[in-house]
Amino acid sequence: MFRILRAFAWMRWRMLANALEHSGSRDTLQRMSLAIENLGPILAAVLLVPSALLLGAMGIGGGYMLAGGGRSVPFDIARVLLLFVPLLVIVGPLLMPGADRTNPIRLLLLPIPRTTLYVAQSSSAFGDPWTMLMLPLVLGIPVGLAAGGAVGAALVALAGALLLIAVIVGLSSLTTSILHLVARDRRRGELVALVFIIILPMVMMLPGLMQSGPRRERGEPRQPRLPAWAQTVTARALAVQPGQMFAEGTRASVTGAGSRAAASLAGLAAMSVVLHGLGLFAFRRVLDSPGSSGARRGTAARPAWGRRIPGLTIGASAVALGQVRLAMRTPRGRAILLSPLMMLVIFGIMIYRGSGTMDFGPFRFNGGLSLATFASVIALLGILPIAMNQFAVDGAGLTMTLLSPLSDRELLAGKAAGNGLIVTAPLLMSLSVPLLVFRSGSPALWLALPLGLLSVYLLVAPVAAICSATFPRAVDMNSIGRGSNAHGAAGFIGLLSFLAAGVPAILIVLLATRVLERPFLAPVLLAAWCAVAAVIGRLLFRPASRIFAARRENLAMIGNR
Amino acid sequence: MELAVETRGLIRSFGGFRAVDGIDLAVPAGSFYGFLGPNGAGKSTTIKCLTGLLKPNGGSMRILGIDPLEDPVAVKRRIGVVPEDLALFDRLTGEETLLFVAQIHGIDLGTARARSRDLLALMDLAGAGHTLVADYSHGMRKKLSLAAALLPAPKLLFLDEPFEGIDAVASRQIKDLMQSFVSRGGTIFLTSHILEIVERLSTHIGVIAKGKLVAQGPIADLRAGRTAGGTLEEIFINLVGGETAPMATFDWF
Repeated sequence: MFRILRAFAWMRWRMLANALEHSGSRDTLQRMSLAIENLGPILAAVLLVPSALLLGAMGIGGGYMLAGGGRSVPFDIARVLLLFVPLLVIVGPLLMPGADRTNPIRLLLLPIPRTTLYVAQSSSAFGDPWTMLMLPLVLGIPVGLAAGGAVGAALVALAGALLLIAVIVGLSSLTTSILHLVARDRRRGELVALVFIIILPMVMMLPGLMQSGPRRERGEPRQPRLPAWAQTVTARALAVQPGQMFAEGTRASVTGAGSRAAASLAGLAAMSVVLHGLGLFAFRRVLDSPGSSGARRGTAARPAWGRRIPGLTIGASAVALGQVRLAMRTPRGRAILLSPLMMLVIFGIMIYRGSGTMDFGPFRFNGGLSLATFASVIALLGILPIAMNQFAVDGAGLTMTLLSPLSDRELLAGKAAGNGLIVTAPLLMSLSVPLLVFRSGSPALWLALPLGLLSVYLLVAPVAAICSATFPRAVDMNSIGRGSNAHGAAGFIGLLSFLAAGVPAILIVLLATRVLERPFLAPVLLAAWCAVAAVIGRLLFRPASRIFAARRENLAMIGNR
Repeated sequence: MELAVETRGLIRSFGGFRAVDGIDLAVPAGSFYGFLGPNGAGKSTTIKCLTGLLKPNGGSMRILGIDPLEDPVAVKRRIGVVPEDLALFDRLTGEETLLFVAQIHGIDLGTARARSRDLLALMDLAGAGHTLVADYSHGMRKKLSLAAALLPAPKLLFLDEPFEGIDAVASRQIKDLMQSFVSRGGTIFLTSHILEIVERLSTHIGVIAKGKLVAQGPIADLRAGRTAGGTLEEIFINLVGGETAPMATFDWF
């Protein structure tokens, strides 16, 4: 078994090294693009070492102080950090690109017993960053306890640490196998991804939603508003959380509460056995059902294909509608459509419960206009992953487009229109729902808002085309995490361009409302600015078209990946 | 003789490596041109240059009398391509893919629907017309790609390995379709490793090895220059130097 595990470790190392060394770049610009793309993982890997050392030191310090009998702040911090590890283990594989995990099916061809294969797959959990950071922390605590003279407690803590690691590895293995089973059927995989998009942020927002209420006056004490049942559920959930069980067992062993320590260890051991049992069962299911179990999906062709978008050629219209279909039929695209609406609902409830206001960090949102502004900006920014990688998101379909009798200008116009159409639905919702619910604010400003958003899009669209042509990234739109994000450089430039393009609109509104004190001028001036932005945008599409023509070959190669 | 594809000294390099090294292609209009070569010889790179996916580093090209570097859109209006990687949108259905192609070619919706119905039936994909391409098998994708290439009624078809991964029934249908296309005046430029099929279908052959065109002409002329009864396989191996390759022997095998 050791020989096979060593081979697996070597294989994973070579895959990582090859991904960094053999980029397949075709020219200097692409080399630079790939270097920027690899910078993040390299930086993370570099930062991992000092972080692990720091956490190891924290574990040792925490254990040492705990052995002294007093309150150990490092140990309390470690306890809080361990809360997040199981969550990361579950969410991590979903957000990380699927390619990062080896598909066990292909390994079936090798002469490896299935149990060994399970151990090999489980051991890949040690390569996850959260596991690599957890190890020095939990193993440092028994070292610190031993150094502080509490040798018996150190042994209990060591046993607890090893059991906690086994639990985390089991959880990781079970999650990976379940994801393999779920993702085998594409539709089911997409549904799960979408549920995660909706459910996770909701869960994260839940405490805020529950605690929101009328604004407190300055100096007024905060009242705990979490319902009693929620507090009970939280307390019970925390009691069986593996990290907390480890911490509780360790603390109990120091204070001499042997039965509590033993109970914690037994709990961790039972959890480990159950998780690995389930993990092995799920893994066997993965190996036994290599084919897709899902039926083919039928989708009726909508008459939209025959439509010509005003101002576009029929070819450019086809490209635009293709872009919209991509957004509607991929988890990432649906996330772009749905996430702003979800934010709208959450913040809408918070404002509603807060009697028309909501505090968000240093900002206070008042009424519907603020909510509409916030939600529509979020909706507009949501298009970044697609707009800033508008060519490569087509995958192999991009080659079909490049082989088509479309001029570069038609293609760029179609893509810009398509991205605009994608963002239109969430924008309309972001504007109309707050208007209908809150019915407050100046009508002139309500009119100015969509005009301001339009001016931003007109200016950003050519920048998006340039970024997409210069920094294309092969993506998997079925992924909702990094795997479907635009290139880091394109995303960053895109964000900056959004902010820069918004400045004139904001200044115009400030000029009309604060300087001239005639809010009705805001939509008039913004309409004029939209016309100017349209001209600037059109002019910017000329260099965009030239850059696209120069990068056609590289884009075709990206499409082939 | 009218030429559908004509190149003069076509060169395409990747860094210091010349994938296509000054080839002079002459594909007669109305011919079935089999373009052969070992793996890595430069076949796909040549097709990519001819169809506008790659820009040549040197030489000249004329496709149906038009220089694709000067007017690529005009060339693309007249050709159909089945690329090696099939190049399909995963998130469109089979029918939508064909309608997309039709719309880009400016074909009205009624005609597009009629043609897509015909082609889907011909390719035995009628029942999968409303299924996403993501759910298609490799063979179904291949047939859909061919249908997409045929839909605008091109004068010239570039087919890169169209029979790879195709079952015998579908292969027969596609072969019949190709012969019908050529018999009605169309030109086919085909690459395939299945020499029996190329031998049976092609009227002309071009052989590329290490980026250079080592033979070209009517298949009968190529045969005439060889020993009596020589198959295309023997001619091919002879041309690309396969006969000189030593027989692999391992003491452990």
